[in-house]
Amino acid sequence: MPNKRRALGFWLVLLVACAGIIARTQFRTDMGAFLPQSAPMAQQVLTEQATSGAASHLIVLALTGAPAPILAAMSETLAGQLRQRAEFIDVINGDDQSFAGVQGFVWANRYLLSADITADRFTATGLHAALLNDLGLLGSDLGGMIQQTLPGDPTGEALTLLRQLGQAQGPASIGNVWFSSDGARALLLVHTSAPGFDIDSQQQALTLINGDFGKARRAVPGAAGVRLIESGPGVFAIHIRDTTKRDVTRLSLLAMAGAVSLLSFAYRSPRVLLLGILPIASGVLAAIATVSLTFGFVHGVTLGFGVTLIGESIDYAIYLFTQTARGETASDTIARIWPTLRLGMLTSTVGFSAMLFSSFTGFAQLGLFSIAGLIVAAGVTRFVLPHLVPQGFCAAGADSISRPLRAAIRQRRRLRWLVAAGVLASIFALTMHRGALWDNNLENLSPIPARDQAQDQMLRRDLGVPDVRYFAVFKAADKEGALEKSEDLTASLNSLVARGKLGGFDVPSMILPSLRTQRARQAALPGAALLRERFTQAQAGLPFRADAFEPFFRDVAATKTGPLLSAGSLPPPLALQLGSMLVRRDNGWVVMAPLHDVADPAGVARAIALAGLPGVRFVDLNHESDQLLQTFQREAVLLAVTGSLAVVLLLLAGLRSVARVITVVAPLAAAVIMTAALLTLGGGKVSIFMVVGFLLIVAVGSNYCLFFERSAPDAETWHRSIASIVLANLCTVSAYGLMALSSIPVLHDIGMTVAMGTFLSLVCAALLKAPGLEA
Amino acid sequence: MRIIRLLPWLCALCIASAPLALAQPATANWGLAQLMQELAQVHSASASFTERKTVQVLSTPLVASGSLSYVAPDYIRKATLLPVPENFVLDHDQITISGGPDQQTHVFSLNADPRIGGLVEGIRATLAGDLPALDHYYIVRLSGDAANWQLLLQPKNPGAARMIKWIIIRGKQNHLDGLDTASGNGDHSEMSIAEDVSDAQ
Repeated sequence: MPNKRRALGFWLVLLVACAGIIARTQFRTDMGAFLPQSAPMAQQVLTEQATSGAASHLIVLALTGAPAPILAAMSETLAGQLRQRAEFIDVINGDDQSFAGVQGFVWANRYLLSADITADRFTATGLHAALLNDLGLLGSDLGGMIQQTLPGDPTGEALTLLRQLGQAQGPASIGNVWFSSDGARALLLVHTSAPGFDIDSQQQALTLINGDFGKARRAVPGAAGVRLIESGPGVFAIHIRDTTKRDVTRLSLLAMAGAVSLLSFAYRSPRVLLLGILPIASGVLAAIATVSLTFGFVHGVTLGFGVTLIGESIDYAIYLFTQTARGETASDTIARIWPTLRLGMLTSTVGFSAMLFSSFTGFAQLGLFSIAGLIVAAGVTRFVLPHLVPQGFCAAGADSISRPLRAAIRQRRRLRWLVAAGVLASIFALTMHRGALWDNNLENLSPIPARDQAQDQMLRRDLGVPDVRYFAVFKAADKEGALEKSEDLTASLNSLVARGKLGGFDVPSMILPSLRTQRARQAALPGAALLRERFTQAQAGLPFRADAFEPFFRDVAATKTGPLLSAGSLPPPLALQLGSMLVRRDNGWVVMAPLHDVADPAGVARAIALAGLPGVRFVDLNHESDQLLQTFQREAVLLAVTGSLAVVLLLLAGLRSVARVITVVAPLAAAVIMTAALLTLGGGKVSIFMVVGFLLIVAVGSNYCLFFERSAPDAETWHRSIASIVLANLCTVSAYGLMALSSIPVLHDIGMTVAMGTFLSLVCAALLKAPGLEA
Repeated sequence: MRIIRLLPWLCALCIASAPLALAQPATANWGLAQLMQELAQVHSASASFTERKTVQVLSTPLVASGSLSYVAPDYIRKATLLPVPENFVLDHDQITISGGPDQQTHVFSLNADPRIGGLVEGIRATLAGDLPALDHYYIVRLSGDAANWQLLLQPKNPGAARMIKWIIIRGKQNHLDGLDTASGNGDHSEMSIAEDVSDAQ
């Protein structure tokens, strides 16, 4: 049989080639890669930031469940232990050590960092003014603030800088450590060396934290009841992974058990049971390879999701095996059912192909994945499987599986009215639905459990971390350019602050001035001899001791000839803050400068636009994410509609009869309408994921309708045909129905929609369509 | 990063404020307990003060003057009039400094840092006659007699001790007439107090 050898050989070569491509495939999990290429830059940067950027390195810890003094002692003990570990770059709990790095850095580099360093500052007049101010402070109750620093810093640069860096309200302090304002929780910020997406390292960090927490609890008297709360991007990633793993393992094991028992009952042959996996397995391999070759990478979501989208290809094997009649070979069967199977497969691929045109990279990948997967799975079913089915195989249990539906079909004249009433009631319910049908709450789509989200918000409030909504955003070709431009921006923003339009802002150059500015500040510092001469003049008539300011002369001289600052010189908290504002992207740099207390967004936007700084945009993040969601929704609906239209056109081409197309489409439409009504019953809302589910209903359900629509030559074939559809549907409903039990929104929504919709498709198709042969 | 707070050096200045009380007849077995009991009977008082600060970097001392008031158990106000008007208020566990040379308002919580809390709580405890609290924060030594006593306080908290070496409170009966402090860096201040009004019997 050269035909057989050629088919098997070609199949094996294909599998090997796919495996080779997959071995070299880059799998990405960052959500930035899933967003549309055209997504606003700020949105993309922020999405990346949350998974791999500076902020993703932070874990927030809260200690609770004991009186404040015990919590404070726990905080100190825990911080002390964590600071010993290399896995943590920094541990900030509000004590002196938390700030020592930043204070030391600001003190050592005050003459490079301070915006007040100009030539005027160090003239005799400028110094005299500074000394007069110092004298006033020394005499006041605030004198303690400058007593220690005065000999090294008569112009007060360090204090001004520290005040600027800490301008926003930090958390409250009790016993010198951070607390929530009600004193119920001691707060710590842990800066891990691993980024948030490195889940294994984050898990390791959490294990260390939990271990040290246990030790601290034993070491501090009275701390037995203290509890630890953990939050942050890495913690979320771990929770999501654990939930997903648990749900997917548990649910897919159950689904597999269900399918195996159903199919074992029907086939009564382990070999055939295993053969049934070949089409979908080959399909998945080919799909990954195709996406990898086309996009250069495969997104994790595409992989997980794509497999559910081509779950339909399991049905192909079921149709083949179940419809093989006694005394018939599998090759005969496939020749008989291939036209219907092919049309069903094409219907699905046409439906999914709408996704190819999505601006969301993730959707486009999913579209390609399902098309490639289904074509290969159908091809394997057609050309490979029949050669492998044992001689004389016949699905012995098929007859009993189809019995209940056949009974329903016998009653269908009466039951049809039920379908009609159901559709009418559904249309009524959908039109009467109160409020918007769309779920516009982004948080409901997030895989982060609601409890985690609420806890995170509580801790952010405790920490006094403002929810930054407005940013000034711009791009630059290189880092220096970005820093220079943010210095230009500082001048404009300062004038907005002076006019009361803006409460405050952060820019990267505040932490790391550009080299241009650092050199200018060095140049503004007078030489040693000149400085002493001017200082003597400035001191005239004031009661300062002549020898009190030696540290000042020494430090100015050291800065004037010393090295300049680079990103590498920053202490961890400032490096983190810089990293959150200055982000490397593609082949340039993006600056996102947070704007605080924006009273009049439109006014600030106008002022920034008119500031004469090309490329600087005012960004309202809430507005942008709303827009992104709307684009997402618009596209999802558009894809569903164009996909359905394409399906109808294909059916017209394939069946060449409007009447037959209506026979196929009517049950599908009825099923989708009833599913939508059921999902939104009681004020429920439609999520984006459900729209994907509708597309799947059409893809899977159309196969049922096509098989029902086909006339069968005899009763046996007809029964087997029904049995194969019922079997396929039972497998689908059990798999997706189990998915609906998941706590992850995307799995739950799609599982619910598809399980309900495909079952309704089966029922509607059986009842509405006049079968080819009466049972 | 909202992590930078001002260094807590300013706690040193809290020492510089202290109100007073009226004369009260001394009894035979006079001691710390008796003094505290007498001080505790003062519920409110006001006075004028003159403060002389010797600062390391200056060749001449700085002099300031103004008024003090106290309401038991935990309200102290020091209103400086000269050379620059400034208000220092301790109310319960919060210190507010306003109107000074920088014309700004600074608010500090006593709980935030044991170094601030320990120092101000000690002063407040003396005025309120709260011996347990005083013992908690300071090594307390009393010398002299009821007619002319002197209370030496040395912080127990090592952090506070680095900033304030000692505090001396001088008085006659339940009436304070002086408050001297020495800070860790060698600066010191002497305050003389002359009370106007007190509700002490």
